[in-house]
Amino acid sequence: MRAFWILLYRRWLSLKNSLVSQDFWAWTKKIFFGLAGLAILVGLYFGFVRVLNYLEGVSLIGSLLSWKLTAMTLLTTFSMVAISGLITAMTTLYYSYDLRFLMSAPVPTRFLFLDKSLETAFYSSWTLALVIFPYILALGNIKSLPFSFYFVFSGLFVPFLALGAAFGIGLSLALMYFFPSSKTRDVIWIFSSLAFACVYVLIRYSQPEKLIRPDALEVVADYLNYLQAPTAAYLPSWWLTKALMAYTSGNWAMVWRQAGLIVGGAVFVYLLLVWAAGRFYVTGFSGSQEGVRWERGLQLRPSWEQRGFKCLNLPREISVFLSKDRKTFFRDVKHWSQLLLIMALVLVYLFSIRQLPLETPDLKSFVSFLNIGIAGFVIAALSLRFTFPAISLEGKSYWIFKSAPLNVRSLMREKFLFSVFPTMFLGTVLVGFSNHLLGADVFISSVSVATILLCTWTLCGMGVGFGALFPRFHVENVHQIESSAGGFLYMACALGYLTLTVAVEAGPIRMYFMERMGRAHPWNWNWIIFCVGTLLLLNAAAFYVPGVLGRRVLENYEGD
Amino acid sequence: MIKTENLTKRFGRLVAVDRLSLEVAPGEIFGFLGPNGAGKTTTVKMLTGILRPTSGRAWVGGHDVVAETLEVKKRLALVPDEPFVYPKLTGAEFLRFMADLYQIPWETQKKKIPELLEMFELLDWGGELLESYSHGMRQKLVLAGVLLREPKILILDEPMVGLDPKSARMVKEIFKTLSRRGATLFMCTHILEIAEKLCHRVGIMIQGRLIALGTVQELQRQAAQEDRNLEDIFLSLTGGHEYSALLKNL
Repeated sequence: MRAFWILLYRRWLSLKNSLVSQDFWAWTKKIFFGLAGLAILVGLYFGFVRVLNYLEGVSLIGSLLSWKLTAMTLLTTFSMVAISGLITAMTTLYYSYDLRFLMSAPVPTRFLFLDKSLETAFYSSWTLALVIFPYILALGNIKSLPFSFYFVFSGLFVPFLALGAAFGIGLSLALMYFFPSSKTRDVIWIFSSLAFACVYVLIRYSQPEKLIRPDALEVVADYLNYLQAPTAAYLPSWWLTKALMAYTSGNWAMVWRQAGLIVGGAVFVYLLLVWAAGRFYVTGFSGSQEGVRWERGLQLRPSWEQRGFKCLNLPREISVFLSKDRKTFFRDVKHWSQLLLIMALVLVYLFSIRQLPLETPDLKSFVSFLNIGIAGFVIAALSLRFTFPAISLEGKSYWIFKSAPLNVRSLMREKFLFSVFPTMFLGTVLVGFSNHLLGADVFISSVSVATILLCTWTLCGMGVGFGALFPRFHVENVHQIESSAGGFLYMACALGYLTLTVAVEAGPIRMYFMERMGRAHPWNWNWIIFCVGTLLLLNAAAFYVPGVLGRRVLENYEGD
Repeated sequence: MIKTENLTKRFGRLVAVDRLSLEVAPGEIFGFLGPNGAGKTTTVKMLTGILRPTSGRAWVGGHDVVAETLEVKKRLALVPDEPFVYPKLTGAEFLRFMADLYQIPWETQKKKIPELLEMFELLDWGGELLESYSHGMRQKLVLAGVLLREPKILILDEPMVGLDPKSARMVKEIFKTLSRRGATLFMCTHILEIAEKLCHRVGIMIQGRLIALGTVQELQRQAAQEDRNLEDIFLSLTGGHEYSALLKNL
């Protein structure tokens, strides 16, 4: 048992040292992001209060509705933690950087597994736990529950999350035992991402907003029996819901019974996992360390990028890096997972646009114009993930570029070209399909598509520029690049740029709506020329300034 | 071929390389020795255009490393101390990538890539992703990438680390052949035996300063240890015998 405490102690030391070693900027960043996160949680709280308030107010079935929503929320949380646990477990249990060392140390396998399982449970559930927190606060507030309600919930919520994560941990243990190969991780990553994407799309397609719309109440009443029935009765999400319901009605016997199920279930499942780990963990771990032979042959043909660039007489070195980036991007299974999630995001985005209750053509066209800002935000977020880190992702192989007879401008152009066309395609899909679903008129549709094309071009240019301005070649994963000071500054500048773009276009758009509403001579051509000029100047500045500054930084780069 | 004049690099208050002046002739294999943190890799990085000198100048192939960086890079080939390569490319794709970067004609690539893979016993692995290569295999691949270009100037930072004895022997022979053909080799190494047997001249650096320069015989005379090998000379010049007292306590 002493070995287990030593393992936990190293975590405490790591945490303590990482807190002590933070500099002023790191603390500032942490406090800023902490406050931003808190603001989001407060926003969520008020949103939940509003929804639950409405549901509780529905005559006869109000309380049933709010408990039904609670059961569905907990079920979703449990599913998400289970899937997240599976993805996290594949990394923490089999590919953590410290495992090779720990596996060779005299630490009993079961303790090592338990240590890594606790890490998995924490990392797969803490964000979801944070999001549930305002919901439970809102529920307690609406139902006027005493403070002890939150204690009961907190006491049961921790083993509830542990049970969700245990599902992923157990499944990864079984899968790696039966298929001990590094390929198993890739397959699990893709299927888990697919499952995430499906859950996300299905939640949205189930149209939860119907529960709070008056015109849907008749339907809800018809399904009174459905509301009274348990939601996934054999899953811990329903046990927790029942315990909370029993607590509010003062049924302590039921509370203890459900608590016993949750806490006892968690203890039993983890004991079972630890026992199983003693027999199966090492086999899976050993398999995960073995390389997989690819056997693709030498394949010495020039890539299609190289052939294309040669035909068009374009710079050869750019095509060489383009070809390399395409191969390395699509061979990384994590990118496939992210592409699946982006597809889900696009589907949900377009579905939400279709569901907007807009009555008049003018309103539809107006929303279509505002949609530029929202689609732009999505593009900026994706650029933060894919374009901004592109230069830093050259990583420790940066010496190849740095010692080759190439200039920084070529590398930056290549990174821009690699990102810009897929991003423009995505921007056009988001805005073009939204316009079609909204039934926006031709003028607004044309303006919004042209604007989003301009915005994606500029945002990608900014992404590459900021990426060069704040290079980080020696990081373990891409999240460290995104969450760096440079990433934060890029996002802030991108949002500022989008706000200015919409603001500059607002004047001419207003004139257009005035004409539609019958105002005589609404067009002020001087103002329009000024707006177009400002827009072009804004884009030129946003595109070139970070690029030029970034190029200088990269040319003089001497290490992190 | 390689010349430095008062080449200096500072990182804040630390002087990593202090007024280094040396000249390496065409066809010469020059061994650059020194304990960890002496400034060898910093010198390599300045010669290859990865770092800019704080002061002083350096020329590679007659071109200034700061003013004519691209010309310098066209002429030299670097083998870094750690063979970091793109893990999601195959061995053959990596060699093609390197060849394309240095504009090697397609017909030459088609002929030489399989030859080099075979020479380094990597032909069976040519279609495998580099993430499955061992350290030594990656090192051999980087060396193959360098030889593909038939460079006139090679800067080698610990080129033998991770190589099996057979490959190490072959690489030594390759270096000798290149030298006979007139190529300049500037090699940092910790393996003193290799430096002694392979290098025409060696330089010993400590705390950023070049403290000894010459052939092994000249260094023997400098250290007044005529009958000793390079390891003894190195340890006497760099103070490496201080650990003997500590060893007794083990």
